[in-house]
Amino acid sequence: MLRAPAVRVAVLAALTGVLCLPMTAAAQKRGGTLVVLVQPEPPTLASYISTSGPIGQVATKVYEGLLEYDFNLKPIPGLAESWKIGADGKTITFVLQKGVRFHDGKPFTSADVKFSVLDVLRKVHPRGAATFREVTEIETPDEHTVVFKLATPAPYMMMALSGYESPMLPKHLFEGTDVKASKYANSPIGTGPFKFVEWQRGQFMRFDRNPDYWRKGRPYLDRIVARFIADSATRTAAIEKGEAHMGGFAAIPWSDVKTLAKLPQFEATTKGYEMSSPIVQLDFNTRRPPFDNLKSRQAVAYAVNRKFVIDNVWFGWGKPATGPISSNFAPLGFYTNEVKSYNVPNGIEIANKLLDEAGLKRGADGVRAEIVHDLTPYGEEWQRYGEYVQQALAEIGIKATLRYEDVPTWLKRLYTDYDFQLSSNWIQGLADPVIGVHRLYHGKQIRPGTVFVNETGWSSPKADELMDQATVEVNPKKRAALYKEFQKIVVDGSPLVWVHELQFVTVYNKQFKDLIVSPLGLYASFDRAYSDK
Amino acid sequence: MAQAIPVVCAILVLNFLLLRLAPGDAASVLAGEAGSATPEYMAELRQRFGLDQPLLVQLLYYVKNMAALDLGFSFRYNMPVLTLIVNRLGPTLLLMGVTLVLSVGAGVTLGILAASRAGSWRDTVISILALVSYATPLFWIGLMLVVVFSLKLDWLPTSGMETVAAFYQGSDRVLDIARHLILPAVTLSLFYMALYTRLMRAAMLEQAGMDYVTTARAKGLSEGRITLAHIVRNAVLPVVTVAGVQLGGLLGGSIVVESVFAWPGLGLLAFQALFARDFNLLLGIFFLSASLVVVVNLGVDLLYTFLDPRIQV
Repeated sequence: MLRAPAVRVAVLAALTGVLCLPMTAAAQKRGGTLVVLVQPEPPTLASYISTSGPIGQVATKVYEGLLEYDFNLKPIPGLAESWKIGADGKTITFVLQKGVRFHDGKPFTSADVKFSVLDVLRKVHPRGAATFREVTEIETPDEHTVVFKLATPAPYMMMALSGYESPMLPKHLFEGTDVKASKYANSPIGTGPFKFVEWQRGQFMRFDRNPDYWRKGRPYLDRIVARFIADSATRTAAIEKGEAHMGGFAAIPWSDVKTLAKLPQFEATTKGYEMSSPIVQLDFNTRRPPFDNLKSRQAVAYAVNRKFVIDNVWFGWGKPATGPISSNFAPLGFYTNEVKSYNVPNGIEIANKLLDEAGLKRGADGVRAEIVHDLTPYGEEWQRYGEYVQQALAEIGIKATLRYEDVPTWLKRLYTDYDFQLSSNWIQGLADPVIGVHRLYHGKQIRPGTVFVNETGWSSPKADELMDQATVEVNPKKRAALYKEFQKIVVDGSPLVWVHELQFVTVYNKQFKDLIVSPLGLYASFDRAYSDK
Repeated sequence: MAQAIPVVCAILVLNFLLLRLAPGDAASVLAGEAGSATPEYMAELRQRFGLDQPLLVQLLYYVKNMAALDLGFSFRYNMPVLTLIVNRLGPTLLLMGVTLVLSVGAGVTLGILAASRAGSWRDTVISILALVSYATPLFWIGLMLVVVFSLKLDWLPTSGMETVAAFYQGSDRVLDIARHLILPAVTLSLFYMALYTRLMRAAMLEQAGMDYVTTARAKGLSEGRITLAHIVRNAVLPVVTVAGVQLGGLLGGSIVVESVFAWPGLGLLAFQALFARDFNLLLGIFFLSASLVVVVNLGVDLLYTFLDPRIQV
């Protein structure tokens, strides 16, 4: 019974997919310029070196990946028209699309795939080494066939082949040069539906339609312009006035989304973030008192009112999180809510009891312990969130002082010096738990100096073993069973508080259609987007 | 002049050392933005940026490059620092130059108008206007102007330097940029204008009580001539001093106005460079600003002798 909603979601999603395709296929019009607000301005367009969100939003119009994904998180053809996974899971054969050319006219072939994976992604991509670690060799029997040979099965790799996560680059332009200092970092040449034209720093980037795109007839838009406006109120004004047409992630502040969505010409959607799956957390340092004690960690988990946070800090966008794996993974069967629940009505009462048991008695002033609470340095909602946590902790006798620093200082404090007690944070589950989730809980991921890995210091041999098994398990059902057990163990251990699944909202002008067509959302190529005006 | 070079050198070294006091480095910021990174990747980045070298070695490299007037390379943008700065120079000078002219012009005029009828309703209105403009936060003025002139009246664009979807050429482009310039220039000018108005008014009133004014009046000169030829010329000196300071800060741009109006200036670039720990870029901007301050100070000193021949350089 408990899994019924997940099944219903999956069925509905499949139905929508089936029903939508023929309906929208009839009416696309050619022409139009789409202006997208991207915030902040990306430093470069080198999506093969950085997975930074703003880079992904623009570079994906130029670079494509072997695969794309549907809303059930199933791979669908991209630059690969078909693929076959060997019975042992150690051989994956991709057949590439025919007639694909880079923007400089040179053909895209199997040699480009081999070069991109082995010489670029595995060497300089922040996650590439992990994604492709099992690849021992890539064979290219002919121009349109690529065979990946793996040391052990790597089911997660198939989830990480989008144009955002693993862009395919032109070998002839990168080979023999220093990839990290390539001039194409600022003037990309790919196979995608839009060609890079110019970048006026501090203002905009311009991408024009690629008339020779391999999907005949596409793209429909003439041009995409990405604009950079540092002030959030001005971004909202630019959308409202029609100077820009679309803004996602937090480009339009949550506080303004509802106001804009009330206007007839705008649409707000939370779709298109299914492969990001961010969770808002409170991270404990389990090396230091008071959070070296399981009971005091659980007490904080009980004290946080999820609904209050979602409604008042994030203006209603979000849903309570139950554990380390986002419910976005439900279509793959990886998610379960059959775990210990900290989201209960009498949370404060239980928390006080747990703290008594942990030996933290209230002093004469009602205070059990004093801590410093670090805030995520990403904007005002994080400050409001911190202020709420401060009040919630006060109710259970923990006096928290808030500390707000800039990004580099905060990163160093959390991930290099481990000089914190409790910090807010948000981490993306990404395309597969192996890539996005394991890093926070595995014992081997306690790596000083590396950001967004296990900084809590918590680990458990049993959880490590389950993650190791799930990494190589090719049978989806068995893999799902491993993750269900994993979630139980981690939630019991409470290395952090999973507060809610953050819902980003994309606001767009209804004049444009088919903007968000896959779980990649703003990281998709927009080859199907069109203007209905 | 002989002092200028040692001053700039001292600023260089001081800037370099001060920036290193900030915790965290460019590698951790890049990795932080990427959302994840392996330790090998981080070590590789640090090696590429030269951050694995001892501080003294880094400083020596920096001084050596600066001696050859090489501003260095921004690893974050994968571009030479000079190119990055030059791209922003035009918009910065445009915005700040127009602001300087507008604010000095309007400020001096209002100051004269107020002082010449001190205590009258005209003086009161101008003084209140100056006080309000001076006290209101810039970002709020900016946003209110956007709400009124862009959203409600639909006369002017909200932000940016040109209409990006249109890509105008030639004179259309000049007009387009001028339309985009109005709101940010007015917002920034209001603040400085208030400053100059108050300065000018106070200096005028002070000069009006001087003996030479009484002498001029005794000579039978008209009030208009006394004000323009005698009082204003003396009263404008403090305004020139402050305008010199404003001119020196020209290259710094205005972070607030640039971010509210998405104007591609150097202020916002420097601000972002600080948070990204992009030290090469930041040091480049600091160097240019420091040089400009030195040059402008020299220019202001020369202007004094022209306005007031009693002053010797």
